[in-house]
This record gives sequence, C-alpha cells and structure tokens, in this order.
Amino acid sequence: MIEVKGLYKDWKEFALKDITLQVKKEEYFVILGPTGAGKTLLLETIAGFYIPDKGEVRIEGRDVTSVPPERRRIGFIYQDYSIFPHLTVEQNIVFGLKLKKSSSPDTNRKRVKEIMAWLSISHLAHRYPPALSGGEQQKVAIARAIAIEPSILLLDEPLSALDLRTKDYLREELKRVKEEFGITMVHVTHDQTEALILADRIAVMMHGRIVQVGTPYEIFNKPLTDEIADFVGVENILHGVVRSNEEGIAEIEVDTGTILAVSEYRAGDVKVCIRPEEIILSESRGESSARNVMRGRIKELHDMGPLTRVKMDTGLVALITKQSRENLRLRRGDEVYATFKATAVHVVR
Amino acid sequence: MNLLLRWSVEKLKREKIFLLSLFLGLFLVAFVVITLGNMFYQQAEDVDGLIAVALDPVVLKAIGVSLSMALVSTLIAFLFGVPLAYFLARKELWGKSIIEGIVDVPLMIPHIVAGIALYGVFMRYGLIGAPLRRLGFVITDAYPGIVIAMLFMSFPYLVNSAREGFKGVDPRLENVARSLGASHWRTFREITFPLAFPSLLNGAILSWGRAISEFSAVLVLAYYPISAPILIYEKFTSFGLRASRPVSVLLISVCLVIFVVLRVLHRRSK
Amino acid sequence: MERRKILLALGILMVVLACIPVVVFYTHLVEVQEPKTVKVFHAGSLSVPFEEAERQFEALHSNVNVQRESYGSVEAIRQITEVGKSGDVLGSADFALIPNMMYPEFADWYVRFATNDIVLAYNSEMSHYTDEITPENWYEILRRDGVTFGFSNPNLDPCGYRSVMVCKLAELRYNDARIFEDLILKNTAITVSEEDGTYVIQTPEQLEPNTGKVTIRPKEVDLTALIEAGGLDYYFIYRSVAVQHGLSFVDLPDEIDLSKVEYADTYKKVKLQTAEGNTKTGKPIVYGITVPTNAENPKLGLEFVRFVIGESGQKIFADNGQPPIVPPVGSGNVPEELKSLVQLEPGESTPTPGTTPPPTSTPTPEEPGFEVICAITGLMGVAYLVLRGR
Repeated sequence: MIEVKGLYKDWKEFALKDITLQVKKEEYFVILGPTGAGKTLLLETIAGFYIPDKGEVRIEGRDVTSVPPERRRIGFIYQDYSIFPHLTVEQNIVFGLKLKKSSSPDTNRKRVKEIMAWLSISHLAHRYPPALSGGEQQKVAIARAIAIEPSILLLDEPLSALDLRTKDYLREELKRVKEEFGITMVHVTHDQTEALILADRIAVMMHGRIVQVGTPYEIFNKPLTDEIADFVGVENILHGVVRSNEEGIAEIEVDTGTILAVSEYRAGDVKVCIRPEEIILSESRGESSARNVMRGRIKELHDMGPLTRVKMDTGLVALITKQSRENLRLRRGDEVYATFKATAVHVVR
Repeated sequence: MNLLLRWSVEKLKREKIFLLSLFLGLFLVAFVVITLGNMFYQQAEDVDGLIAVALDPVVLKAIGVSLSMALVSTLIAFLFGVPLAYFLARKELWGKSIIEGIVDVPLMIPHIVAGIALYGVFMRYGLIGAPLRRLGFVITDAYPGIVIAMLFMSFPYLVNSAREGFKGVDPRLENVARSLGASHWRTFREITFPLAFPSLLNGAILSWGRAISEFSAVLVLAYYPISAPILIYEKFTSFGLRASRPVSVLLISVCLVIFVVLRVLHRRSK
Repeated sequence: MERRKILLALGILMVVLACIPVVVFYTHLVEVQEPKTVKVFHAGSLSVPFEEAERQFEALHSNVNVQRESYGSVEAIRQITEVGKSGDVLGSADFALIPNMMYPEFADWYVRFATNDIVLAYNSEMSHYTDEITPENWYEILRRDGVTFGFSNPNLDPCGYRSVMVCKLAELRYNDARIFEDLILKNTAITVSEEDGTYVIQTPEQLEPNTGKVTIRPKEVDLTALIEAGGLDYYFIYRSVAVQHGLSFVDLPDEIDLSKVEYADTYKKVKLQTAEGNTKTGKPIVYGITVPTNAENPKLGLEFVRFVIGESGQKIFADNGQPPIVPPVGSGNVPEELKSLVQLEPGESTPTPGTTPPPTSTPTPEEPGFEVICAITGLMGVAYLVLRGR
C-alpha cells in the first residue's frame, strides 16, 4: 500500500503540485497523463530517487519520505529497460539478490533460474543486454525487479518503446506478475488503451497535478473536465461475449448486435473498444469493405469546432467532420448506419 | 578477420562520407608520421648513436623518471579527478561552470607561467612549501616537484574525459541499482565506475602522455632530478641535435609502444 | 541527394585549393610593400636593451618589424648553425662564441660593443643574512647552513661558467683556499685541476647538484624568477639583469667579477672545460654582435647592428647596467657600412677572400610549395572523378 500526501517537488522543467494518492494493496494502479505532466518525477519520488520539497510518502504504513531508495523494497522499471550493459542477463537478475543479507550463491542461483524459467528467458542467461531485443530486455528488467520480491513495482512507461505484438504480449506478462506475486503495481503511461486494459484504477495526471482518480469506466466515460475528456478520448466501450473465432476474427455479441473484431479470444466476457473517429456514418447500408454495420438513431449532436460528436441510441459515439455532417444533413432522430472495420475494434478482457 | 576487413571496405565504399572523412583525416595522421618519420629516418643513419644512448644509464634514468613520475601524477589526478568529475557530471549547482572553468585553466596558461606560479607556492617559503618543509618534505628540485608540475599541467585532460564518461552513464541505471538495494557507494562501484571506465582510462592515457611531455613547468620547479624532456633540451643546448635526437627517438619509441598497448586495452575495456 | 552534397563539398574544396597558388602568387607581388622582418637571436641578458633598441629602431624605420628570440648564447647560435633557422642579427653574451662556433660558415666578422660583470644578487625581503653581507664576506655567508645559492648551467650558459670562475677567482682575491671547495666542489660534480698556476675547472654533463644547497637552471633568467619568488637566497648573475630587475646585489670586487680589462691577466688564470669539451678562459665579459651569413635580410640586419653599436644604442646599454664599449671594436671581415663606427682590432688577421670562402649564396632548395598544391589538387581531382564515376 502506498500513500502519498501533499507532495511537492520542483525539478528542472517538471513539477509536482500537491499530489495526494492512495494505492491499495495488490492493486494495479495506472497513472495516465500526457508527456511532461510530471508522471516520471512522481514515480521517481515515490521510489526515493528524489527527496520531495514538501509532503510525505508512506509505504505499507511506514513513513519513508527520508528513507534512501535502497531500503524501500520497491522494484523499478524504466521505459528504456535500463539493463546494466556490462553484466550478463543472469548477473543483472542476481544483482539485487546478492545484496540481500540472507542471500547465498546457491539459493540465488536457484531463484534466478526459477524467475528466468517463469518469464521464458532461460536461454538468454549468458547473453549481454545489447544483443537482446527490446521485449527481451524488458523481461530481464522485470525479472531483475521481482527477484528481490518487492512489495511494490513501479513501472515508468514500460511498454512504450515496444512494437505492437510485443506490447500485447508483455502486457499479459505484467498482469501475470501481479497475480502470481501479489505485487502492488504502479504503472505510468500516456497510452489510454494500455491504461484501460491494465488498470484496476486510473489516476489522470496533468500539469503536475492529479486531476481525476477512478475506475477505467469512470475515467473514460465520465471525465471530470473537458481537458481530461480531450486527453483520454471518449471511447466506445461495450461489454460483450465472444461467441466464435474463425482465423483470428472473433464474433462478439453485444447488447445491440454482433461485432466482428480481429482478436485471439475464442470465448468469454470481453470489453470492446472502438475509437469514435473510426466510425463512419452513412444514410444507407451501401457497399463497404468494413465488416461491421450497425443501424441506429441519432440521440445527440454536439458541435466541437471542426468536428461533431454524434451520439446514437445504440450507445456508440462517432466523431465526424463538419463537411460530412453537412453532406449528410444530419439531424437529431435521423436513422443512420454506423460502419467500422474489424481491425478498428480493440478487444480486451 | 579477412571477412571483417572486406566487410568494412565494402561498407566504406557504400558510405562515402566515411571515405571522405578518412581521406581528409589522413592529412593529420600524415602530419605526425612525416614529422616523426623524418626524425627517425635521420636517426637511422646513426644507429650507433641510438644504441649508445639506449645503454647510457643517465638517459635511461631520465626516461624512467619521466615515465614513473608521470604515472604517479596520473594516479594522483585519478584519485582526486574522478570524484570531481563524478560530481561535475551529476550535480547542478551555482558556480559549477566556474569550477569547470578553473579546471580548464591549466590548459590555457603558458607552461612557464604555471611553473613560476607553482614555484611561488611550493618553494621553501611558499604557501604550501613552507609547512611541508617543516615536515621534512622538499618539493623543489626533487621528485615531488616533477610530479606537481606534471599534475598541474595534465589533470584537466583526465577530469574532462572522466566527466564526459560519467555523463554518458544513464543516471537511471544508478536509480535502478539503488532500487535493487545497492547503496549509493556500491552503485558507484559496481555500475557507474565500470561503465565510465573506458572514458576514465582514456583520460588517464591523455593525462599521462601530457605529463611525460611537460617541460617548462618542470624546468622551473625541478630541473633536477633530470627528466627526459629536460635531458633532451640539455643535450641539444650543449651538444646539438646529434646528441639530443637519439634520446628523443628513444623516448618517443618507448612511449609509442606503451600508448599502443594502452589503446588496445582501452578498446578491449569498451 | 547525399552523394550530391559530398560532391559539392569536394568541389568547393577543390576550388579553394586551386585558389591557393593564385593567392600565393599575388602575395609574392604584394610582399614588396609588406613590412620587412629583422630576425634577431640573442642571449637572454640582452633581452632588455634589445627590446628598447627594437622599439626605437622600429620607430625610425616604419616598415620594419624586429622579431627577437632570446636563448642562452650557445643555444642562440645553435638555432642558426644546427636547427637551420636564418637570423639577421646574432647577439652573444660572449663574443668569442661567434668565431668559435660560427666561423667560417655562418659568420665571418663580429663587433664587441658592450660589457657586463658578475654580481651576487638577492631578494632584499626574503633572502637570509642580507643585512650582513658585504663584498668582503659574501663567501662566508654562502657557506652557512640553510643559505642557498644558484647559478645557471655552465654547460649551457656563459653566465653559468662565469659564475663558477668567479668562485675560483675569489680564492685568489680573499686568500682562502677553501672557497671553491666549500661552494662548488662539495655541492656538485664539478672538478678542478691546477697546472702552473692556472686552474682548469671541469663541468661534466651531469652536474648532480646538492639541490638542498645549490640550485642550477639552464638560463640565468630561470633563476631570476626563483630569486624574485624568494625560494633562493643568492645567485650569481650579470649586473645588467640585477639592475633591470631591480634586485639588490653585492658588487663583487673588480679582481673577480670579470668586468675590467685591466684584470684580464688575473681572469685568465681560471679556465673552464665544458661537458662538450670547449675550454673557456676567464676574461672580461664582452658582448659580440654579428649578421649571420644565412640572413634573409642582411641589409636590415646590418642596419640594426649599426643602431645598437651607435650612439642611441650606447645610451640604452649604459642605462641598463651594460656599459657600452666606446668605440666598439670590430674583428674579422667587418662590412664597409660599419667601418666608420668601429675601431678595427689590430693584429687579428682579417680573413682574406682566399682563406675563407666568400659568403656565397648557398643554393636554396627550390621551394616545393607550388608542386605540393598541384599534387593535392590533382589528388582531389582524381578522388572527385572516382566518386562521380560511381
């Protein structure tokens, strides 16, 4: 459990202003915010790399504000992996273990082996970091951090430098870490999808302040301010059940119909996310390569400068340009077809 | 090996900018090779003179003095310069650029001026010389004098190179090490120092080379015990080029061998 | 795109290089109006009066730039005879070095124009026992424990061997046979032998000074810095240097200070053999000046010599503690332009054209500058063509 109270810190061009947070035990907590919001600084201050100008940090009830980082039992993972380049993978992972009072070479070796096996990196044991891919390096960083059995793992944009496939894969690994070891995770990111998928709770951070804390549903569907709404991008989040899956195309049943999506899931409850700008509105069904067509009535039209937000009775929200709004002569109550590609649908559990 | 060579030639052909930079850069290399080559060539006509010099205990002692005192100077520069460099690389504080400027000063002042200034401080009534003398240490015209003159003229090379080396070590690596339970000191020893080591070694090599070549400042502070550059100067003044050149050739040869070996080690350490 | 830029850079480089010969050619034409340079190599002890002479000389000749380089006398001569630099004027603190080291190839005449003498200078604020020291007891003071003294390297600097000679001459003057032993022999590797009332001092290459007592430096100027800093109590130095630096000094008796022609016979009793094997004989300190045969501007060099030995020069030297010789004494093949100013030395044979090769213009090797530039341009051209061919 982490408690942060009235934290202030000025460092270079970044600043933390009156940060107050509570992260519950074994919670996956995501701090979401745009670049430059001070997220990394907050994480580094919690880790003890910086001493706050004001305020306090408590971990498991203990005031650690002036405790040096090496005595906080916190794992830390950076975006650029920060693997020690002069040590092999094995030496990297054992680094923290060797520093423990209770350690012995034998138990250390055993523990490292277990962790490497668990993360499927045993074959990399004697390689040096520059010879590893980004994903492999990040797994080593995770292995190294959890080797010391921390109660808390702080992750600073851990997936941002990875390609899409690796990102998906490692995201699952992170979930697995949390479940297997019961570690409290604090994960900083600017990626809304990542936050949505991983978080038990999300804190939105802007200009050095925490502006909203809540469940992903609350954050994405009930943003407190326009600025937050603008940043998180109001998502279409629908609950559904996977009915079938053929060659990677899943058929998902939602309240208002069936959606086809590119997904590996074969069954079970899922969340379906579609970004509003991916949805195209038309008057007739028409011929389109898009796999999904949903009919609905316009409930609301919201003018947003060059764009218009269209809310339909099916629960979908679309963003269209002024031009197409005029071409379609959209009015409240009109019946329209919403089409979107199967690839535009993001399925998460 | 062969394959590697072919590969690099192929690569050079493809990357013309490197071809151009190699071509232009060779002018500087040629500059050194021609100058020293000419000297060695002239000496080659007088091999007996070179052998005689190589067997002369006075010459050998002078070269020994230069090499060893330069080593001592470099070790001292290392001991004090590395912490300073670490501080300068990691900490921001008011007046830091003043400190950096001060470190660079020895690179700019004429060596003779430095020598006289050092003499003023380290002579028997000098600010530092006087208390040291009471303790029984004589600086002028003694080994410590040589070391001090060399140190003053050469340490900036080490500090500057080390500072860049430490700057090149991502502070996040240090953060991670500390989060894993390593104390600050241990982090420095096991992470920062080994990663910056190639730069530290590079700085030490530069500093050592600069120390060996120091003449004017050493001359003012410690003409005796005679070090190699002073011996060369003396030989030139009293006997002319024929006498001084073989000593120079010998000194340069010894240094060249040591430098090449150190450079190989330096590349390995990377 | 990339390639085009590289080719452009190469092209510009070629144009620049091609311009160099043109520029060189034109600057040659223009050079006539450029200021002319007089290159002067001289003994360190001539620095101050020559600097003043330079100032006045340049004021008289608006188009002339005097460039001086100061060395020990031997070293100054070696710059010309061994390093191969060309000098328009050479001033030595020991006139005899000119015939000994430069005749006949690099000089065939010289003029003696000023004198100097050795004093024992000190720092009036920091040196020990300055309130006690007199011309009669100075050697007693130097003997005392804790008193340090210095002289320049006898092998490298005339001031150095003269200092050593002074110590030997002091034995005769003060009737104390242990002065030289106590001051020099005990503290250095210098040795001395006697033959028929003449003393021959040997200075080995390695002087091995007892650095706690004796400080040796290559040049007298190096020692001056140490005295001014206060690290050294006393040193033997030319009067001129002491005067110019405002140092206090003990004015040593005429019999030993190498100042007076009257005592030439006394001075002669001490000889010194340097490590190189040259024998120096004690004699009054007399400066010599010449125009080396390899001068690039011999006319201007001669003009500078005329100025130095003339009336204005004499005044400068008198003010600086280096009494001028009036009239100056010429020796050897003294150029016509100077004959009116100097008294030719009687008895010394003037080298005749028969015995000494006339100062021929040594065939200077053709300057390789133009060819080198052509070669570089050519290479660049080839490189350009090769790159373009791809």
